[in-house]
Amino acid sequence: MRTLVRGGRVIDPASGLDAVRDILIENRFVTQIGEHVDPGDARVVDAAGCIVAPGFIDMHVHLREPGQTHKETIASGSAAAVAGGFTAVACMPNTDPALDSPGVVADVLRRAEAAALARVYPIGAITRNRAGEELAPYHLLADAGCVAFSDDGATIANPRVLRNAARYAADIDAVFISHCEDAHLKGDAVMHEGAASARLGLEGSPGLAEDIIVARDLLIAEDAGKRWHIAHVSTARSLDLVRFARSRGVRVTCEVTPHHLLLLDDRFDGYRADAKVNPPLREDGDRAALLAGVRDGTIDAFATDHAPHGLDEKAQLLEAAPVGFTGLEIAVGAYAAALPDLSLDRYIALMSTNPARILGVPGGSLGVGSLGDVTIFAERAWTIDARLFHSKGKSTPFDGATFGRRPVATLVDGFVVFEHGRVMPRDEGVPA
Amino acid sequence: MVPRSLIDIDDVSRDEIIHVLNRAASFKEAAPSRDLLAGVAVLNLFFEASTRTATSFTLAEQRVGADVISFAPGTSSLGKGETIADTAITLRGIGIRVIVVRHPESGFPRRLAETFDGHVINAGDGQHAHPTQALLDLMTLRNEFGRFEGLRVAIVGDILHSRVARSNIVGMKQLGIDVTLVGPPTLLPESFASEGVRIDRDLDAVLGSVDAVMMLRIQRERISTGLLPALDDYTRNYQLNRTRLRGLRTDAVILHPGPYNRGIELTDDVLDDPRSRYVAQVGNGVFVRMAVLDFLVNGATVAA
Repeated sequence: MRTLVRGGRVIDPASGLDAVRDILIENRFVTQIGEHVDPGDARVVDAAGCIVAPGFIDMHVHLREPGQTHKETIASGSAAAVAGGFTAVACMPNTDPALDSPGVVADVLRRAEAAALARVYPIGAITRNRAGEELAPYHLLADAGCVAFSDDGATIANPRVLRNAARYAADIDAVFISHCEDAHLKGDAVMHEGAASARLGLEGSPGLAEDIIVARDLLIAEDAGKRWHIAHVSTARSLDLVRFARSRGVRVTCEVTPHHLLLLDDRFDGYRADAKVNPPLREDGDRAALLAGVRDGTIDAFATDHAPHGLDEKAQLLEAAPVGFTGLEIAVGAYAAALPDLSLDRYIALMSTNPARILGVPGGSLGVGSLGDVTIFAERAWTIDARLFHSKGKSTPFDGATFGRRPVATLVDGFVVFEHGRVMPRDEGVPA
Repeated sequence: MVPRSLIDIDDVSRDEIIHVLNRAASFKEAAPSRDLLAGVAVLNLFFEASTRTATSFTLAEQRVGADVISFAPGTSSLGKGETIADTAITLRGIGIRVIVVRHPESGFPRRLAETFDGHVINAGDGQHAHPTQALLDLMTLRNEFGRFEGLRVAIVGDILHSRVARSNIVGMKQLGIDVTLVGPPTLLPESFASEGVRIDRDLDAVLGSVDAVMMLRIQRERISTGLLPALDDYTRNYQLNRTRLRGLRTDAVILHPGPYNRGIELTDDVLDDPRSRYVAQVGNGVFVRMAVLDFLVNGATVAA
């Protein structure tokens, strides 16, 4: 199987390459990069006028399978991934059952292989059933294919449990990922605590609910010597805490979502739940700090926290409606809209190179010998129409938004899995 | 044209507020004919228990001649089993033209008004708004002072959980009233400060300078949820009592949305004090609600 990506502007942050090149992929790997590569019998993907990057990796998605397949399946989530320009996703363990045993993890991988679209990297639970009490079998989960560990939305309340987890798993390279929200400070909040929640009479969660857990978890990371990743930072002070931990030698990385970079807590005047998310949309000072955190390198990765739900579920009153929304099919454009001044090199590093490094997975570079995972995108305007999403989750606060950057084609293992708006499964199974 | 609703007090302009208050005053002077809302079906939909507001609305509806239906669905059935939109379509199909709604969750009336092809009047939603309460408070103030511009009003107590406070803040700002909020930081976060709205933690310092003081109800659950210490610590700072009444100007008035907790936010001395206007407030409530019904259903030409 040979594929030639022809005439695109190839940008590879790992090697510093930024030039118009042809790329030949043979048997899953890049074999040639040059100004003119003879295609021979290769399938040719015309990338003229486009940017060619190492495949984008969304290290924070919810695929809902097993357990909530009315919201998303591994197949529909994989289709959304490749249509959104992602060649790989890491899926959170808040499924039913949770990803806390090797059998469930193996099942996820089997389904991903059957879907034959994006690579799917399972994230194992830190505690059994994400209940915050008993430790999950980290070594067995890593053997089964887990690339990281997290209890995601269920912040582990007991620091003794988390410390023991981190110490026990210290010999595994897979990173611990924290979703940082203190349950007591958060209470029954449906949005951020601030002037907007005060005005609207809605329960708010203060930024402190995040900060206090970021501080705690980074202290545990230091104490246990465990590599750590902070999911979806949303406050200015969280970033300061990450900087502080780094200054003490803690191995910590962090990610930011498109919605926290673009949206504020002023979206609840209609009491609709389409912007209800954890952690909540914050105030302008936080948003400015997040944008600065991307520019100064404090933030390592872009991750969408793709959290699909049914439109009927999101149409409920604020308290009853589920948290989160779809992100995979808006990300490429949304990040560009949030940071129009960010260099393409940095953008690609945050979309691909850094997530690959944090998760310790292949990809993230585009040189001879690299995996044939390629994202092709263009600086072209497009308008989001959620009805056209491949994801089952059609709810997004970005519906109708116009962005200036869009995915054009996606290659996994050299197979074209997305082009001309169509998703096409690989014609042969490839081990993830 | 979308039928008008009253979800919060800023759904009506300053001039419209004055119009409604004028109408209410005229209804108070002489009862209108009972055909203002003849043939108009009004549904009182109270998802949350209410004595004064429900009674007041029902009486107001009868006095303008509406067909009145009252229904207390409890908090769990309507609006959950079927979607809000389905509820709205069903009620309109039956022939309901006005829904007076109270709901424990902030935002329910707003969501209902989006899909209901009729008028929605918010009779109190969660911690959000209670616009007819604000209107009756404004009517009481105008009876007393004959003006709004430049009046100074203190609202005291649990601002955070009070829809009465929120609607009054919005309405008073619209009318040029100078508002001071008084309460402990756990019940009155700094985020309530805005243009024309000050925060002061010292009730004694505020009392001498205001034309009216509005005392809000303090619920005992604020202690069990850790927002307040023992009640006597609260009363030390924020209770209106015999001693503090001496600090209040003789020409000032005392408002309370009710129901009050004797011995907590105020003492018996306050209710007996000639400056207390609680009875006038609840009396004005009926006239204000008659005027709101008339204004929403029949409209009004209001000079800009």
